[in-house]
Amino acid sequence: MKQQTTILAGALAALLLGGHAFAAELRIGTAAEPSSLDPHYHNLTPNNTVRRHIFESLVDQDAKQRLIPALAESWRAVDDKTWEFKLRKGVKFHDGSEFTAQDFVYTLCRIPNVANSPSSFTLYTKGVDAVETPDPYTIIVKTAAPYPLLPVEMTTFGIISAKAAGGEKVTFDKAGCKADSWPATQAFNDGTLTIGTGPFKLAEYRKGERIVLDRNPDYWGTKPEWDKVTFRPITSDGPRMAALLAGDVDLVDEPPLQDLERLRKDPKVSVVETLSNRVVYLALDQAEPTPTIKGTDGKNPLRDIRVREALSLAIDREAIVKRIMNNTAEPAAQLLAPGLFGTNPDLKVKSDQKKAKELLTAAGYPNGFELTIGTPNDRYINDEKIAQAVAQMYSRIGIKTQVDAATVNVFFSRRNKGEFSVYLAGWSAATGEASSPLKSLVATRIKEKGFGPTNYTSYSNPKLDELLTKALATVDDAAREKLLAETMKVAMEDYAVLPLHYEVTSWAMRKGLSYEPRADQYTLAASIRSAK
Amino acid sequence: MTAASPVSAAPKVETPLKRFVVGFLDSRVAMLGLVLLALVVFSALLAPWIAPQDPYDLSKLDIMSGMLPPGSADMDGNVFWLGSDEQGRDLLSAILYGLRTSLLVGFSSTAIALAIGLVIGMVAAYAGGGTDATIMRLVDIQLSFPAILIALILLAVLGKGVDKVIVALAAVQWAYYARTVRSAALVERRKEYVEAAQCLALPKGRIVLRHLLPNCLPPLIVVATVQVAHAITLEATLSFLGVGVPVTEPSLGMLIASGFDYMLSGEFWVSVFPGLALLITIVSINLVGDQMRDVLNPRLQH
Repeated sequence: MKQQTTILAGALAALLLGGHAFAAELRIGTAAEPSSLDPHYHNLTPNNTVRRHIFESLVDQDAKQRLIPALAESWRAVDDKTWEFKLRKGVKFHDGSEFTAQDFVYTLCRIPNVANSPSSFTLYTKGVDAVETPDPYTIIVKTAAPYPLLPVEMTTFGIISAKAAGGEKVTFDKAGCKADSWPATQAFNDGTLTIGTGPFKLAEYRKGERIVLDRNPDYWGTKPEWDKVTFRPITSDGPRMAALLAGDVDLVDEPPLQDLERLRKDPKVSVVETLSNRVVYLALDQAEPTPTIKGTDGKNPLRDIRVREALSLAIDREAIVKRIMNNTAEPAAQLLAPGLFGTNPDLKVKSDQKKAKELLTAAGYPNGFELTIGTPNDRYINDEKIAQAVAQMYSRIGIKTQVDAATVNVFFSRRNKGEFSVYLAGWSAATGEASSPLKSLVATRIKEKGFGPTNYTSYSNPKLDELLTKALATVDDAAREKLLAETMKVAMEDYAVLPLHYEVTSWAMRKGLSYEPRADQYTLAASIRSAK
Repeated sequence: MTAASPVSAAPKVETPLKRFVVGFLDSRVAMLGLVLLALVVFSALLAPWIAPQDPYDLSKLDIMSGMLPPGSADMDGNVFWLGSDEQGRDLLSAILYGLRTSLLVGFSSTAIALAIGLVIGMVAAYAGGGTDATIMRLVDIQLSFPAILIALILLAVLGKGVDKVIVALAAVQWAYYARTVRSAALVERRKEYVEAAQCLALPKGRIVLRHLLPNCLPPLIVVATVQVAHAITLEATLSFLGVGVPVTEPSLGMLIASGFDYMLSGEFWVSVFPGLALLITIVSINLVGDQMRDVLNPRLQH
């Protein structure tokens, strides 16, 4: 009897061990889930994260946001306004068809034609004026003006299959490409068009539950270690943490800050972190009338620069970082962490409640007004708590402030409909330089130029637009950096949006896994490795 | 019923109310429930005077006093007896104010649902036939959905706010009363006193209001008491899920939710104390309700 038990136990152990060695599975718990699997629908970190597993871009970035080859093997500036990309040969889509220049052309054409896109990628395609494809493995991109950011911008969007979408004949036209119809976002969610060249293929997508990816056996690059990767959105901090500690998931993003201290000491868990390219900010509506301000006789006080300055000075950013963020963030005085390309070293964090009150009085609001801040409650680290802290700081200078918190999808659709006078959001500089937040958040919305796609506040400053346009056309890096820093100063001195802090991104994983922390906050399964 | 009987056997007129009170006072557990409930109700009513801080006035909060453990004081010397949450909200005050929200929502939604259910149930029972069948099928449909689901959908449409939570909870609860009233009224309707009233050709309204209604009340009172507790739990659940009250005016459910994130990091008080307050409220209401059921149920007497 006893012997039997031993044999049984042995067999069971062999079975378990064997099973473990053969099917390498990685389970990732994420704090936010993508709004869609359509790679061009929503320029949002959770979407871009999953996109990078399935769809690849021409150029890629490493963990420090330096450019590395991806679908393009090499690229060079032929002259000021012409770029040449040499494509990798023999790359196959998940359906077996070959990747060629036409897929790039089709992708470029499709991006402006995504219906109801909440935050479009046109921001990164507007620079392209004309495309030539002398052979299937060469792309010549022409720009109207010198456009130094082109290779960087090629990292931001994933290439979809022209063949799968029926776009083999589509040609690029700056004024708008011609096609019978454009693929619907739904076709990417249900898997029909979720065909990329990436290291993983889509196996299953259940919104709110999980995204399952299988390894692409025909991947051209280094094949990932994992046969199967499951992303599980666990938006509440506690349960996400519990899932990691209980071994239900192998790695989590955004481990709750209040637990970091304890996690670092836990022998079963390892934590990695890095300062991110994301700034969390408050956007101030400039439209009149504005929806969530009361007690001003219909006027929008945010149009007055003194009020905006008061709102900025009233915020004690150090306190937020210390108390709400557990010191895992840095107070922000501009839209990208200083030290990164195009930031301004002269901008300093200021806080002065007394002066804020004086400014409000000078602007004609000695008794303040009523304000509601909109915020997501599961998108950025402690987003709702930050909004509440800001609300109490505003209440102290006499602005009666409420917080209206909603889940990410609800928040963004309401934000896009202009339902908030002040809202909290974050911006990741996908390109790693200051032009990204400046162009998206504070430049006047001009669709043709790709300016201001995420400027939902009707903010417009001609001086800023002019400087930014000039900077974006300057090929010389040193001169461009100087111009960008100057643009940043103009934006910040006009209090166009109010930066709060830069997030420090961390990941927690079971011991035995390693991950190089990425400034762009992406959690890429292909780069998660187990120590051998 | 032993020691008290000889005393109450004195030649006094026994009114239903008196019988009820005597029966109620009979149980020690029920008395404990009543005392606790009274304590909860009074501290909620007196919250603005006894709470150390107004937790809904954001200008009184300071994040620098956030996450203080129970019994500690901040730099200005204010003592936080039950600790503070991450916004620097005194938990004792927040619980007292949260109780106000909970009780307000519980009692008012129950009262509204009771009124609606009473009317609809009476109509169904007295009218009978097709009207009865239609109304009862509606009730069946409503009862076949989980209450929390209907409340979530309603709040998604209505938006946030205490008034909206009350409306949503009244909407999910009326069906219970309608069904209870109907069954009670059906039984009463066939009794002789109703027949007698009908023979006297009294107007229908009078028969329903003066004769039927008072006799249907006892089971309703029991259902209502239990439903108040149920409504409070529902409100807490909705707030926990973040669809109930605004985040700057937390109710008990929302306090529990915001403390929930800290459970694993050792800062237990943000969740545990509001949870205890909720527990005490619900248990005391249920104790009182149970005893009421026993007293009002003729089958359990004698």
